[in-house]
Amino acid sequence: MSKKITSFDSQPTMGKIIRIEDECEDTKNFFVEMPKKIEGVKAGQFVMLWIPGVDEYPIGVAGFKDEVLELGIAKMGAGTEALFSKQIGERVGIRGFYGKPYKPLENVNHLLLGGGFGMTPLKLLINTLKSRNRGDKIHVFEGARTKNKLMYLDFLQNLHDKEEIKFHVCTDDGSWGYKGFPTIALEEVLQEDSRQSVIYVAGPERMMKVVFEIGKKYPNVKDMQMSLADRYMRCGFGLCSACTVDPTGWRICIDGPVFNKEQLEQITDFGEYIRLATGEKKRI
Amino acid sequence: MSLETIVGNIKIRNPLILASGVLGSSYSVLQRIYEAGIGAVVTKSVGPVSREGNPNPSIFALKDINGAINSIGLANPGYKHFRDEIKILLENNVQTIVSIFGGDVEEFNEVLVGLSDLSITAFELNLSCPNTEKEGMVLGTDPQIVRRIVENLRKKTESPIWVKLTPNVTDILEIADAAIKGGCDALVAINTLKAMVIDIYSRHPILGFKRGGLSGSPIKPVGIRNIFDLYEQFGEKIPLVGVGGIAKWEDVFEYILAGASAVQIGTALGIAHPENKIRHIKNNIQKFMKNEGIEKIANIIGGAHR
Repeated sequence: MSKKITSFDSQPTMGKIIRIEDECEDTKNFFVEMPKKIEGVKAGQFVMLWIPGVDEYPIGVAGFKDEVLELGIAKMGAGTEALFSKQIGERVGIRGFYGKPYKPLENVNHLLLGGGFGMTPLKLLINTLKSRNRGDKIHVFEGARTKNKLMYLDFLQNLHDKEEIKFHVCTDDGSWGYKGFPTIALEEVLQEDSRQSVIYVAGPERMMKVVFEIGKKYPNVKDMQMSLADRYMRCGFGLCSACTVDPTGWRICIDGPVFNKEQLEQITDFGEYIRLATGEKKRI
Repeated sequence: MSLETIVGNIKIRNPLILASGVLGSSYSVLQRIYEAGIGAVVTKSVGPVSREGNPNPSIFALKDINGAINSIGLANPGYKHFRDEIKILLENNVQTIVSIFGGDVEEFNEVLVGLSDLSITAFELNLSCPNTEKEGMVLGTDPQIVRRIVENLRKKTESPIWVKLTPNVTDILEIADAAIKGGCDALVAINTLKAMVIDIYSRHPILGFKRGGLSGSPIKPVGIRNIFDLYEQFGEKIPLVGVGGIAKWEDVFEYILAGASAVQIGTALGIAHPENKIRHIKNNIQKFMKNEGIEKIANIIGGAHR
């Protein structure tokens, strides 16, 4: 008798890679067919991805539709290299869905800002916001070193052309969009449109801290929700505490990874210190 | 009526202690759990130098059996780094038991001496971690080595020394006897059971270290049996701390009736709101004591030996 699967949050549930797309330089989208559709994955949640015999690490979910999980993954380290060498038909293990998601507010402008693979959870958030269809303005700010490093460029440009979102894109070297950081366009929007806004961010923590400080200057910023998923995690479900932040003792994996403005104010580690696999604190 | 219990000469505000290895990586999470009302906390094991531990996956849930398996492999920042975090806990009056490990007598000495100037509630010796190549298991399964380590450390600190025992031995009583002869102040039983999980599709053991230790509900009857045996053998000669699979308030009394003076909870706290679970268990301990007319914990320790 086969058991009914109601979640993937026990030992890894094996899924089959059914499609691999090149996304941008050193980044691919992996589509993993799971044995069952599990309802309720929310933007900002993550899975622990197991490459059998190699490694396991947290990955933000970009989508989950018709039993197919979409993961956008940048090559960095042995674990992701091993994934990149996988062929269609090979299996990987999934644990999840873990963590607290973004909680979009009502009747506000939604300002989504991402860098690097931080775009992954934001892709799902964009789709969530679009499906709510409330007529709220959605701005997406993306920045990268160079054009080849921009994730979901076609997807976002297409939504922009259809006027479903307003896409603000930039690169450090000016090879695409304007030259500079995404915070420039973010501040422009905050200055031009006095409507209440919520800023949603994912990406490198130093960048998030900068956005956080900027956001605090604007009274029309109602909330800021940022994902600290770019930190070392082990268990993913709140048991081991390898990912705790000081001084609150919150576990990124289950009390986060998405924290709101009020919470971020209390996390003195935010943008300052991470914990290594050993538990040692290290300045970011 | 009082929830207070005594382990050796340490008073603990209630019999529920946080077990080592869970929610114990930082001062902040330990403090958070203590503030939720737990009796005392045990830190994650610290050793002489920093260790990354084993490759991931190193811990995951086994939902079907309400348990977990791990092979974290003593990941820790080393006692020199962790010292500052322990200090914060002590400054904030968190009753802190520090779990320590070493590869041999000298390493244990180094760690304990390096922390012995702090007024630590107790040291818990992790002689029984099953998840490393060298340390732990080898030491904890050899009565002579156990005795030598405890004897040595006994001379170096005023703080109580608790010895955590592995169930992965033929005769736990022999190891316990060696620890008592070495001069320990309490025995903690049990550590995880040797275990393994294999994925049938990829044909790989799932843990990065392949082998691991089982915790959670499935090991509770094993823990109860070990505490019962230890109490039967040693009686009031040595206080016992019961650990293994505690998830409900009933489990606490089961361990106490088997012979434990206090218990440790671990795996069951890998949830969104560990504070709520701690409060729930504590409230129900109180309720049960009231309903059953139990004045204090000490009155029922070993109560099942009849």
